[in-house]
Amino acid sequence: MSFAATAYVIRAEMAKTLRIYFAYPIIMVYWAIFPVLWVFPFLFQGKAMVGSTTSAAFQQLTGSGNYMAFVLIGAMVSNFVFSGLWGVGNSLREETYWGTMEYIIASPTHPLVVLIGKTLAEAAVTTCIVTMQATTISLLPFDISFTVAKVLPVMLLVVLLMVGFYGFAIAFAGFTLLIKEVHGWVHTLEWVFFLFSPIRYPVQVNPIASFVSVLIPLTWALVAIRGIILLNRRAVGLWRISGILLAMDAALLVGGYFTFVALERKTRRDGTVGMH
Amino acid sequence: MNEVMAPALEVQSVVKNFRRGRGLRRKITRAVDGATLTLPRGELFGLLGPNGAGKTTLVRCIATLLIPDAGTIKVLGHDAFKDSLFCRQRIGLLTSGERTLYWKLSARDNLNFFAALYGLTGKARDKRVDYLIELLGLKEVERDRLERYSSGMKQKVSLARAILHDPELILLDEPSLGLDPQFARFIRQFIKDELNRKQGKTILLTTHYMDEADELCQRIAFINKGKIVDVKPPEQYKRDIPHTEVLEIRCQGRPDVAPIQALPGVERVACDFNDGMTTLKVVAPRAETVLSEAIELLRNGGRILGIDVKQPTLEDVFLYVTGTSLGADTSENKPETE
Repeated sequence: MSFAATAYVIRAEMAKTLRIYFAYPIIMVYWAIFPVLWVFPFLFQGKAMVGSTTSAAFQQLTGSGNYMAFVLIGAMVSNFVFSGLWGVGNSLREETYWGTMEYIIASPTHPLVVLIGKTLAEAAVTTCIVTMQATTISLLPFDISFTVAKVLPVMLLVVLLMVGFYGFAIAFAGFTLLIKEVHGWVHTLEWVFFLFSPIRYPVQVNPIASFVSVLIPLTWALVAIRGIILLNRRAVGLWRISGILLAMDAALLVGGYFTFVALERKTRRDGTVGMH
Repeated sequence: MNEVMAPALEVQSVVKNFRRGRGLRRKITRAVDGATLTLPRGELFGLLGPNGAGKTTLVRCIATLLIPDAGTIKVLGHDAFKDSLFCRQRIGLLTSGERTLYWKLSARDNLNFFAALYGLTGKARDKRVDYLIELLGLKEVERDRLERYSSGMKQKVSLARAILHDPELILLDEPSLGLDPQFARFIRQFIKDELNRKQGKTILLTTHYMDEADELCQRIAFINKGKIVDVKPPEQYKRDIPHTEVLEIRCQGRPDVAPIQALPGVERVACDFNDGMTTLKVVAPRAETVLSEAIELLRNGGRILGIDVKQPTLEDVFLYVTGTSLGADTSENKPETE
């Protein structure tokens, strides 16, 4: 299949995914409420435990006492990651549920091309939600500002983070073809990431978490993103961290591709492609 | 073999096993057992067998959805697995069941998406989709979501998808299953008149409806317990059966058929039990020679509701050849589906 035809399939898949996504009107309620309300539970929890939005102990660990901003940035970036993991991982399972998976496999288009379309559609939706979240927290008094000088390197880091994560999600999608289950695995992975990467707390407080966290791209991205937004550090080692993320991306993309191909072939051998 | 001269489909000694369970509980079920078929171009070929006989598994192997454990499959002279892109581009697939489309999308959106998967883009795609929507009578509802369609209308969209990319070989797996008679008739006519006669497509049709196979197919393969038992034109099957009558007895309850099977002259007995009623089909060279004794044996077991002596149908031929009724479920051959 030519490059143009492949691009056309990706576009068609994106259009299809978004049409189905917005075919359920209740999703608009989520869009209207979630990006505004999501911040308040964090705010109230912080105030109840510390009494204010800053902490001296937190400053010692992270260089910034603004733990609320720390948690909010972690929540936003992890939202990107988990939405991608959920969306891409679940997408092929949805196709098997709809009964359309066999028709995708039986076509001359490689299922990975369809998965790329789903990934981009998922990324578009999540980008909109995270942008709305970022707008909300920049309007509230958390001492977080998003200037162009901050946003551009953050975007670069988010793109590098997500490329690798989508590689992981593609492997996960292949895995769901085999195990026919998504919820349990996504939630398990969520908690692994919550524990071993600095989404909700600085991993320095636990030596094991701190050791494991360096293997997770999310850790590197969060360290750099927080450095740029909270500490106004231009020299957080952006290029070094970008290089680390690029290397991780390459490993995750190649690993994701081969894992997916092997698992898709296994399901065709087992005769379980269309099962859900 | 030259691609131009090659048959549309060659299936050679295909074996497909399904493995279930682990360790000592591991069970291997042979769903297709050495199937061999050759379909010349332009033939409408039927694969007839009861539920669980291996029809769908064989079709899925041909469609490259399943990788066989042994044997080869060639489409227009190309190996289906070594040259899968070539073959997939030339195969149209329709599987049974109405949940094979995006119900939240319209017929046009569904067809547009699947057209993209087959490399159809721009005006060529629009022209082809327009043509199929018109051909299958979907014009008035083309923008409605599929969730509002009847089963028959959904099957029309499935059929449109199967021929969207103008494939040389069309695999139709139980195309009229679960449809009301009006839609089933439309689908059958469309397959025979439009696809086979007019467009000259090669069609492999699986069914367990003998009437459908008899009406549509130029040749029929009987498949039972994963094995292709015989391949002939339907008329020849009927000519070859060495008896001319089938005794059909309907009675209440579930009688013991062993004594009837043991009667002299009885070749086979098929038994279908449904809603408290049993239909027995007794195959014998001459039905009247076993009639009175069969009635006598059944009278003790329950009330006899009706007796008929019939000319053999394709179903009777299947019973004669395989010893299994087409209405039977031989699903110990079938993999679990959930």
